[in-house]
Amino acid sequence: MRILVIGDGKVGHTVVEHLAKENHDVVLIDTDEEALARSQDTLDVMCIRGNGANAQTLIDAGAKKADIIIAATASDETNMLCCLIAKRLGAKYSIARIRDPEYNESLSLLRHELDIDLAINPERATAIEISRLLRFPFASNIEAFARGRVEMVAFRVQDNDVIVGTPLRDLSRTLRGIPQVLYALVDRDGALSIPYGDFVIQPGDLVYVAAEAVTITAYFRFLGKASVKIRDVMLLGGGRISYYLAKMITPMGIRVAMIEINQKKAEMLSESLPDVNVIYGDGTDQELLEQEGLPQMDAFVALCDRDEENLMTGLFAVRQGVPKVIVKNNRVAYADLITDMGLDSIVSPRSITCANILRYVRGWANSEGTKVERLYHLADARAEALEFIARANDPYIGVPLKDLTMRPGTLVAVIVRDRKVIVPFGNDHIEPGDTVIIIACESGLTDLNEVITR
Amino acid sequence: MNKRLVIHVIGAILMIEAAAMLPALVIGLIYREPGAAQAMLYPMLMLIALGLPLWLLVKPKDQNLRAKEGFTVVALSWLLLSIFGALPFVFSGMIPNFVDALFEAVSGFTTTGATVVTNFENRPHGIMFWRAFTHWIGGMGVLVLTLALLPQMTGRTSHLVRAESPGPSMSKIVPKMGDSAKILYLIYGALTVIEFIALMIAGMDVYDAAIHAISTAGTGGFSTYGDSIGAFNSPAIEIIIMVFMVLYGVNFALYYSILIGNWKAVKKSEELRWYLGIFAFSTIAITAFVTPLYGNVFSALRFSSFEVASVVSTTGFGVVDFNTWPQSAKALILILMFFGSCAGSTAGGMKIVRVALLCKLGQREIRRTFQPRKVQVVRFEGKGVEEAQLSQISVFFFVYLALILAGMFLISLENRFDVQTNFSAALTCVSNVGPGFGAIASDFAGYGPFAKCVLSVLMLAGRLEMFPILVLFHPALWRKN
Repeated sequence: MRILVIGDGKVGHTVVEHLAKENHDVVLIDTDEEALARSQDTLDVMCIRGNGANAQTLIDAGAKKADIIIAATASDETNMLCCLIAKRLGAKYSIARIRDPEYNESLSLLRHELDIDLAINPERATAIEISRLLRFPFASNIEAFARGRVEMVAFRVQDNDVIVGTPLRDLSRTLRGIPQVLYALVDRDGALSIPYGDFVIQPGDLVYVAAEAVTITAYFRFLGKASVKIRDVMLLGGGRISYYLAKMITPMGIRVAMIEINQKKAEMLSESLPDVNVIYGDGTDQELLEQEGLPQMDAFVALCDRDEENLMTGLFAVRQGVPKVIVKNNRVAYADLITDMGLDSIVSPRSITCANILRYVRGWANSEGTKVERLYHLADARAEALEFIARANDPYIGVPLKDLTMRPGTLVAVIVRDRKVIVPFGNDHIEPGDTVIIIACESGLTDLNEVITR
Repeated sequence: MNKRLVIHVIGAILMIEAAAMLPALVIGLIYREPGAAQAMLYPMLMLIALGLPLWLLVKPKDQNLRAKEGFTVVALSWLLLSIFGALPFVFSGMIPNFVDALFEAVSGFTTTGATVVTNFENRPHGIMFWRAFTHWIGGMGVLVLTLALLPQMTGRTSHLVRAESPGPSMSKIVPKMGDSAKILYLIYGALTVIEFIALMIAGMDVYDAAIHAISTAGTGGFSTYGDSIGAFNSPAIEIIIMVFMVLYGVNFALYYSILIGNWKAVKKSEELRWYLGIFAFSTIAITAFVTPLYGNVFSALRFSSFEVASVVSTTGFGVVDFNTWPQSAKALILILMFFGSCAGSTAGGMKIVRVALLCKLGQREIRRTFQPRKVQVVRFEGKGVEEAQLSQISVFFFVYLALILAGMFLISLENRFDVQTNFSAALTCVSNVGPGFGAIASDFAGYGPFAKCVLSVLMLAGRLEMFPILVLFHPALWRKN
């Protein structure tokens, strides 16, 4: 597909990197020659210097025949204008990054009037992700599939967890009444693998389990983890993510303390968020954190602009015994290091934005060529979950899974049939029209027939 | 440096050279020249024996081709291409001395067209075809060909193409490098076939038409006759070759624009206007200078337009010897040897875009001396040019001149010819034109082995636009990390 990306910033560059790898024809537009030179050197894309909101630049970049336009410049207004002009020129789909809370309130109107197919607000998307983590504090990552019907939760296994030490296939015999979930992935010391029946879980493993949302809740109640409920949260930094997050979680009955270093901003936040305890002060000051009751908090979320400050204060909070610590970190390359230091829950607005954009692009690309309905990145993009729709005349239809051959490193995670979620076992089979979710430790799969053969 | 990747890519390029030798081998067999066929076959087998294991067995762990690897691959592969490309000349006995053969092969791949062959009677057809075919491969670039043929080479390939494609900035014509390379070679091949057919209609036989079509395409200049195109004495053939020489000097991206119906790009192209303007002006001026020599304007126009096209496109075909022309005409020819053609073409020289920008830069500095606070942005093709690029072009110009002067000095050490000859030899090699003034009007056989080696380096440096070859001589490239 021909895709125009406007804005060669953090998000623009990462999205382009993935799109180029997925073999799309990508044209990248930016006004900054230096940023373009870097992209030109490292990626197989065409770079054009110019203003993406200029019709001539868009025409030169081939907007008339473009399938998708993605506007991710620093300015919301430019992004909206880019999408509007490109659509008028003939682009099929448009994605705009719109992050200003002021626009967010009139978003549906804007989207309709400007004919934007997807408006992405990185800060809001990140806040949603964090609020999900706060609802399941024992999880380090939660992902929803199949329009929210299936959830996949990643959690770190503790020494005294009952699932430790028994092969997976014997779990339901030894532990009576354990809800049936699928063990999708295990991350042991940074090595990711798909656990099969004889796999034995050890303490310290990061385990990804998938099932219907209700079953997931029941599962964690069985493990005795669901009893931890978060009531007090401290947010470091009063940026947009904190704002959205506070707005989302205060109605859930969570008490929020927010630390902001800028006095004016702190005052404004206090005005717009009456239920939030806004504290004016330097969040990297340990004294202040202790004084404001950090050790008694159920959760600590570090959302400063600077990744380093988030990491340092996050580590301090872990040391202070805060049960749930979430830090914002945009540098994906350091994710391993951070996990080693004891910080499990890392959110990256950049990755979240990219993942959202890519999910839509792949959905559209699907109508021409590949058969992937949706694609999710798991475990820092080291694994993927792919949604397929089973087709009537494919060879695997109606055959019990135990008689089929799976591609190594893949797993049928869930089958969704008529809104019913099935965690499949050997005797289950796939019917035409089923949504099949595959977990794969590789990328680039495009067809269910590549994964399952007779 | 990522040595495994460098070796892997070079292995692939050696395989492509082996494949490129196939047509010459077939022609050798068609003309029943067992000697020529063998002389093609043995280097082919050697290339396969060396290239295949390198390509298949040395798998790079890291696929990232950074600037360092990119330039190294380009420089090394051009050296290896030339060395293996010289073997058929040696094995067939056409050019028994290896240094001479290497000079001939470098001259071929760099599309210079400077030759050491003096006697063109009864030369094996297969070897002569290979000699011309090196122009065709070198013209568009062997790495561009590699990218067109090997789909798995994606991602960081821009360093390869940048080093090989002429012009100050590399611009892709479509988003994917592999597709760009394919389109370029399709246009290139189509133009070659059209010229081949035109030459046959104009009266050449199949063999001569093929040789001259591929030789023009690379803007090379190897012919099958000592008198070059003059040997045919046919205005029709001269006009066809002249038109195509001019066409190959145009940026190929413009042909793609025409193919997709974007004529506006052609109208907007400032470089094309400069190029055609320089061609027209020089032709008229030289016609005026040489009219007394030929007695009438039409002969003067016929010869001057052909020679100007030949020099501007850096092809180096000849219909007359411009050494017999008046000094005024020779001086203009010498200037044109610097200029060359458009960026993104198959021609050599400094490239019109650089010349135009240097002119504008000079103009700006003059203005700045009396109006220092005036903000002046240098514009080209309707867009402002980055200061970094302008300073890079100034440096390029300096290196270009420095290389010519150094080359002139080094070959003068042999003390065989006068300084004018040596200067024109260095210039014609760096600019990849071919013929020069004085003793090198038709061939370079008079130079000794040392001068031929120096000139070979100059040709490679000129074809790859200086830096990829010069970095090889920089010690930091070979240091670890």
